[in-house]
Amino acid sequence: METMLSTISEQLGPMLVILGAALAVGFAGSGSAWGIGIANEAAAGIMTEDPKKFGYALVLLALPGTQGIYGLLVAVLALQKAGLLGAGDVSLTVWQGLGICFACLPIAISGFYSAIWQGKSSAASILMISKRPEQIGKAVILPAMCETYAVFGLLVSILMLNGIKL
Amino acid sequence: MSSQEAYGYAVARIRAMEHRLLDSGVLQRMIDAEDFSSILKILGETSYSSELSSQTTESDFDKTLEADLHNIYEEIYAFVPDKSLVDIMRLQYDFHNVKVLLKSMFNVRAGGKKRWDLLTSLGSYPLDDMITNVESEEYRLLPFGLSTLLPKCITIWEQSKDVLEVERLIDKRMFEVMLEKAKELDMPGIISWVKARTDGENIRTLLRLKRFNFDASKALPFLHEGGDIDINMLVSLITEPFETWGRALEFSDFGKMIGSIDVSCGFSDLILSLEKALEDFYLEKIGAGRYSSSDPANIPAYLWAKEMEIKNIRVIMVSKRNKGDKDKLRGLMRHGYV
Repeated sequence: METMLSTISEQLGPMLVILGAALAVGFAGSGSAWGIGIANEAAAGIMTEDPKKFGYALVLLALPGTQGIYGLLVAVLALQKAGLLGAGDVSLTVWQGLGICFACLPIAISGFYSAIWQGKSSAASILMISKRPEQIGKAVILPAMCETYAVFGLLVSILMLNGIKL
Repeated sequence: MSSQEAYGYAVARIRAMEHRLLDSGVLQRMIDAEDFSSILKILGETSYSSELSSQTTESDFDKTLEADLHNIYEEIYAFVPDKSLVDIMRLQYDFHNVKVLLKSMFNVRAGGKKRWDLLTSLGSYPLDDMITNVESEEYRLLPFGLSTLLPKCITIWEQSKDVLEVERLIDKRMFEVMLEKAKELDMPGIISWVKARTDGENIRTLLRLKRFNFDASKALPFLHEGGDIDINMLVSLITEPFETWGRALEFSDFGKMIGSIDVSCGFSDLILSLEKALEDFYLEKIGAGRYSSSDPANIPAYLWAKEMEIKNIRVIMVSKRNKGDKDKLRGLMRHGYV
């Protein structure tokens, strides 16, 4: 029993880091896929009528994809911080592991929701450029506003990771 | 009902299709055109060009417009997640066909001719099937509750020769089916629009009956249940001058709309003005969802806008044929969607 508790205590720290990294990539990536899916439907709709709008639509389609990249970045940073990317021994306390896991949450949560809403904004902007392609500049700015909050999530996650003493 | 998110593609495609609708500039040019060939030339520069290529005479023109509208209905039907959204808009044509078939039957029995030339392919139920089922008296195969309604209509005609009563029953059933389909869709915007159309039709019917000096008790059966305005309250307006209807209906969306109608003209012009105001009102009401990228109401909004566009073209053609006044014609134009 004692051996088992000791093993759990040793392994729980790295496991929590892995959980945090998985949440960052999983949630932010899912949000991005969802958001792109929403924007894709709109893009497919206007391109059925006017295939020449592909160039405009592509810019707007790509926007909700950034949250997935942010999630991946934070996950890599978290794994690197915990030494899980190298081959060496990993020694983390439960509290350190928990800290890194929590540090991954800002981008996981803000990435998930902002990507979905950015997808909806992108879809609305795609409808806008279907009528007024000359307004592509403004059409990109509108969904980019949602990006701000994903960037905040990314920033806070990175700051939190840097703040954890190992 | 499909999830609203399923409408992302459909709404985007509709938005792109709006480019095909005629803008007010084109309609103005058509109004100012001197003759039929000038109008054809203007339409040849628009989305109607492909349909017009097979059109040779003025009499073909109506068929050309019908073919264009039919293509639009079929195109949208192919990609819309809830087919009933399109069916609701096509019901008027199904019931028009039923009326034509019944009246043709009555005509033949009275020694007259069939008027199948008035049938339209725009209905949601295949026209050939409808003709076959009515001709072979296989009424049980007909949709929309017509299996019981048609024998009833025939009995009424055989007993009283009252075609008006037959029409009343068919119209009543049409609004019932529209509301049933809207409720099946479970989309509040569509239900509200169908109710508004029922109320609008009741107001229009009431004004027409007022012209023929109907009293409230005689007019009541001609009004349809299912709207937001109580028909008992509405029918009481028949004895009031039309100028006061707007104030009496202030509690509804119709109050302001009726209040804005110029009542100084004659009865015929008043009915035309009311019809135009009602049709613009329906577009305004269903078009409220146009700024949403996934609102299913965008589908009927586009279809209604297309119907109004075809109506505008027909009104221009009739006016040109009769050498009508251009200013009066401008006043009859339904609002555009673009």
